[in-house]
Amino acid sequence: MTNPPLKRVLVEEGADRFPSVSRILKRIEGIPVERVSDRKKEKMSGPLNMDKTSLRLISFPGEFLKPCPGTKGYICCGYQILNVGTNCPFDCSYCILQAYFNQPSLRIFVNLEEKLHQIAEVLDRHPDRIFRIGTGEFTDSLALDPIAGWSHVLIPFISERNNAILELKTKTNQVEGLFSFPQRNRIVISWSLNSPSIASREEHGAPGIRKRLEAAKMCQQEGYNIGFHFDPLVHIPGWEEEYKRTFEMMDKLIDPNGIVWLSMGGLRYMPALKAIVRKRHPKSRILVGEFVPGLDGKMRYFKPIRIQMYGFMAEMLRKWHEDLGLYLCMESHDVWEKSLGWSPKNSEGLSHFLDRRAVKFFG
Amino acid sequence: MKDLSGAPETLVELTEISDQPGPYCMSFRFDLDPLKRSIDKFGLIHRPLVIENGNYKKEAVIGFRRVLALKSLKWDRAPMKVLSGDELSPSDLLLLNLYDNLSSRPFNDVEKGMILNRLKPHFSGEEILKEYMPLLGLPSNESTRILYEKLEELDMALRTSCADGDLSLKTIKALLEMDPDSRATLFQWIKDLKLNFNQQMLFIENTLDISNTEATSILQVLQEKPLLNIREDQNLNNPQKAKRSLSYLRRRRFPLLTRSEETFEKTISSLGLPERVRISHPPFFENPDYRLEILFRDGKMLEETVKKLAQLNDLEGIGDPWDEES
Ligand code: SF4
Repeated sequence: MTNPPLKRVLVEEGADRFPSVSRILKRIEGIPVERVSDRKKEKMSGPLNMDKTSLRLISFPGEFLKPCPGTKGYICCGYQILNVGTNCPFDCSYCILQAYFNQPSLRIFVNLEEKLHQIAEVLDRHPDRIFRIGTGEFTDSLALDPIAGWSHVLIPFISERNNAILELKTKTNQVEGLFSFPQRNRIVISWSLNSPSIASREEHGAPGIRKRLEAAKMCQQEGYNIGFHFDPLVHIPGWEEEYKRTFEMMDKLIDPNGIVWLSMGGLRYMPALKAIVRKRHPKSRILVGEFVPGLDGKMRYFKPIRIQMYGFMAEMLRKWHEDLGLYLCMESHDVWEKSLGWSPKNSEGLSHFLDRRAVKFFG
Repeated sequence: MKDLSGAPETLVELTEISDQPGPYCMSFRFDLDPLKRSIDKFGLIHRPLVIENGNYKKEAVIGFRRVLALKSLKWDRAPMKVLSGDELSPSDLLLLNLYDNLSSRPFNDVEKGMILNRLKPHFSGEEILKEYMPLLGLPSNESTRILYEKLEELDMALRTSCADGDLSLKTIKALLEMDPDSRATLFQWIKDLKLNFNQQMLFIENTLDISNTEATSILQVLQEKPLLNIREDQNLNNPQKAKRSLSYLRRRRFPLLTRSEETFEKTISSLGLPERVRISHPPFFENPDYRLEILFRDGKMLEETVKKLAQLNDLEGIGDPWDEES
């Protein structure tokens, strides 16, 4: 059985000509393969079925590297999204991808290698800028990596550049594959963290927090720099004690000196996601709490709740280590001030802060 | 399809015709009186079309309401067009009824659902979406089709409210996703309080959220004493009951937000602002900026108001209300 468990592979017309397809198919030998027209819209078996047991190999016609659109009215970090595929084998109750029903199945963009020169051109056009690039926006960066082999392409590519950082954001503990590369430079392996109970109740199929932290420890031992993202922070009764359990594990397993950055973001969701969560995850507790419409139209916790959560988390984390590169994801200037005691003031300020972190670790 | 315009008419005994809506009927929630008055005055202008049915005697294909009206007017027999069972296919009979109705009246939502259900065995999903949903004035999408098809499953009271346009489709959709007991209770509240569309959704959403937050059932939330007291209060009229019930649920759903709003209002009202001056908070306090509004007729009035404002002592006390509380 493959991990993730796959029932079929769909190779879209036009994808076959890319060498990565045969490599991928070799890695998952034995799974039935169908050739499908690229225009054939995959019918969902039910309106809420994301079909995570089908893998679609696609030649992606769009731009691979795009600036994160950020969100109206809040401070953003100036990240660059490298779009290598969509959907992921886990099934987090809060996952935004659930709202994109017209894009079922796990999707790997097989023409990544052929597009590298375009990405290189963009990077070369701005030698003075630092590009913080991540692949974990529309998929988990590592969950499909044993099949997709993204890291084989991207780690050597980014390591030898002076103005880019690659962040591989994940919830997996499948990191052994990363140790086969000699390169460590300009690579950040980061984990999405939460309280153990949120991880087990809401992040279906993803390894628990201890396993993630053990994987992070292994990466540190192997010489990788790491990052963490407490996102989404979930405000449920007893949340302080719950998050303390994660801090205790971090303290035991992680060397804080090797943390490039650590972000926090309160749970937020598009209003349309609420009905989907109710249907797909009737036992979920993520909708509990005082959610109000944010300036960007997404629902987020009422401001004092966010301030309280970030303030508590920051206090705990700073007690552990003063210099974690702590930042808030998509928050407002006043929330920064009131919870962390300082603010980058705007998106440019936050970009500079994170660029300085990158320079500190990688020069 | 066969041309029926010249089909012969026969006098048919009304007792021979089923008074249950058959497989071609697309009528729900109608008032027979106008039809009865018209028949009384002018006779039966349009002839119903009936079909011989193996099991029952005859079934109305077109004119089910007219048959009922005639029966209610105690007619014994009436001229009708009669088809034998095999003259037209069931799908043709269905379309016959559909187009006949379409030309003469609008359908209510329950009827639209009935039509979609009846079309289903005869036409592909694609055809229903592309041809028939636009014909019914519905958007051609799968989720709308599913929603409308389910309307026929609702119990009679709910279906009636839906056909009468008392419930929004959003409300119906939300109710359909609940277990039957919760649905019936919520529906009763909506009916009793005569909530408008907007209020219906607020009532449902807040009840659902409270039940989810506190891991209790919807029924338990709606059994809370303060809520029941509002409903039973003889001194309140319906709009007042609706407003208070909604505000009770909101306070339960958003305790910190409602407390903050109240603290803010209290702070502002204790300032003794000059007349025609208003200070308000941003929606949900999300934006950090508060708003000051001054209404004035001329510069002199503005100057006076600004002076009065500047003389107030406690302006510095305005700020995020949760800071005040802590
Ligand atoms: S790991 Fe990320 S992409 Fe995967 S289901 Fe969870 S939130 Fe969605």
